[in-house]
Amino acid sequence: MSETWRVFVYALATALATGVGALPFVLVRDLSDRVIAASNAIAAGLMLGASLGLVAEGARHGGWQTFLGVNVGIGFILLTQKLLGGHDPDVGAFRGAGARRMLLMVVVMTVHSFAEGAAVGVSFGGGMALATAITVAIAVHNVPEGLAISAVLRPQGVSVLGCVGWSVFSSLPQPLMAVPAFLFVERVAVALPYGLGFAAGAMIFMVLVELLPEAYEQERARRVALLTGLTLAGMLLFQQYV
Amino acid sequence: MPSGSAVVLWSIVAVIPAGVGAFLGVDRLGAARRQGARAGAAERALGWANASAAGLMLGVAYAVLAEGTALSPLGGTLGAAIGVTLVHLLGLVAGSAEGGAPREGPRRGAARVVTASALHSAAEGIAIGAAAALAPEFGLFLVLTFAIHNVSEGAVLGSALAAGDRQAVSAAGAAMGARTGQPLLAGLTLLAIGVLPALQPWALGVAFGALVYLVLSELLPSSYHQTGRTSIAVMVSVAAGIVALLGGRAVR
Repeated sequence: MSETWRVFVYALATALATGVGALPFVLVRDLSDRVIAASNAIAAGLMLGASLGLVAEGARHGGWQTFLGVNVGIGFILLTQKLLGGHDPDVGAFRGAGARRMLLMVVVMTVHSFAEGAAVGVSFGGGMALATAITVAIAVHNVPEGLAISAVLRPQGVSVLGCVGWSVFSSLPQPLMAVPAFLFVERVAVALPYGLGFAAGAMIFMVLVELLPEAYEQERARRVALLTGLTLAGMLLFQQYV
Repeated sequence: MPSGSAVVLWSIVAVIPAGVGAFLGVDRLGAARRQGARAGAAERALGWANASAAGLMLGVAYAVLAEGTALSPLGGTLGAAIGVTLVHLLGLVAGSAEGGAPREGPRRGAARVVTASALHSAAEGIAIGAAAALAPEFGLFLVLTFAIHNVSEGAVLGSALAAGDRQAVSAAGAAMGARTGQPLLAGLTLLAIGVLPALQPWALGVAFGALVYLVLSELLPSSYHQTGRTSIAVMVSVAAGIVALLGGRAVR
């Protein structure tokens, strides 16, 4: 298998993992807020761990370049937030506040998947060990994302299959973005620390602006800190030995 | 360059900015919070103070972790898990309330902030001691970073004490007293590593875990209560990035 195909397959696997998050809804119609909060806290730990791995790899190639990339990644998420902020659309048969929340959730998840796809792609520039660690981290992190999407869609009457479909759809930018990101850093080696920094910055910012505030809204801060902190430590350990 | 012991002595001096911050917190922020018209601005200022402290702590945590895992991947990462669990259990024993609990009274809120500040300073002390044992320049970098961060943390503490009717000078004393754990733990950690050098990566890992836990359990929830999540996220990530970048250079 060529390296480009390998990047595509790895990133496609992370997208498919998002659909796994919808599966608990085969058994239940609704999940408690605390379960969603715990999922967000775990996802935050995984993403922070993956981001630290990207920053550490980027710093080996250039500290200032990585730092600049981190800030561009933050700017990217800020810009997408600004562009999405004014929209107020309807979704097929679904209208009103529920429909807005559904679409916003899918759109937000889809847009930030671009950054995660870039993370998978550029991580291949840092070697297979880093690529495997980042791919597994993003795939595992995608499960609670699918859970979060389905938790919004399912109570609106969307079928479980529909929840799986929308969840996977929200992560499709990952395989689509991973390949060009990989080709870019492969051909323009000097771009690698910028790319690694960009992906890390976008993911850290997503954790700070979405995952953690939402977890704090539904769960005690100390429990969120314990879950996120231990998941982060576990992710760091995994990256050291993968 | 100073020796490891000199770095620990410098960390005593780094406690003073907490007193200055607490004085300003009572004198300025606490007074503004009591005035309806300026209360919103004071809350936002506190949110940003918390966010800048969180960013500085996360940046230091990254620099500390990088060195810990370079010495021993297992010690650095398992130390991180121990640090998270240890501070969580200490918090349970201390019985401190949740960060930013909305219905707590002013006295309980002040006690929570003082307890949190004491826990922060202990974790920071471990980080300083472990860093100073690794390279005095790195230890000094941490002392300077924590000295800056002590101003914002002191301001938050002063503001909480003002709600409990404490005077500015008394609040400054309380803030400095709460942070005496920083030089104390720095000295003890340096001593312990001197006796048993194998502890070095574990101590760095514990410091990382403890700092991250405290940011997640205290500083971030409080700052999200006080101002918008986007501005908090920008301040935390940029401050952390700058410190992580400079910290990596300080140790080389």
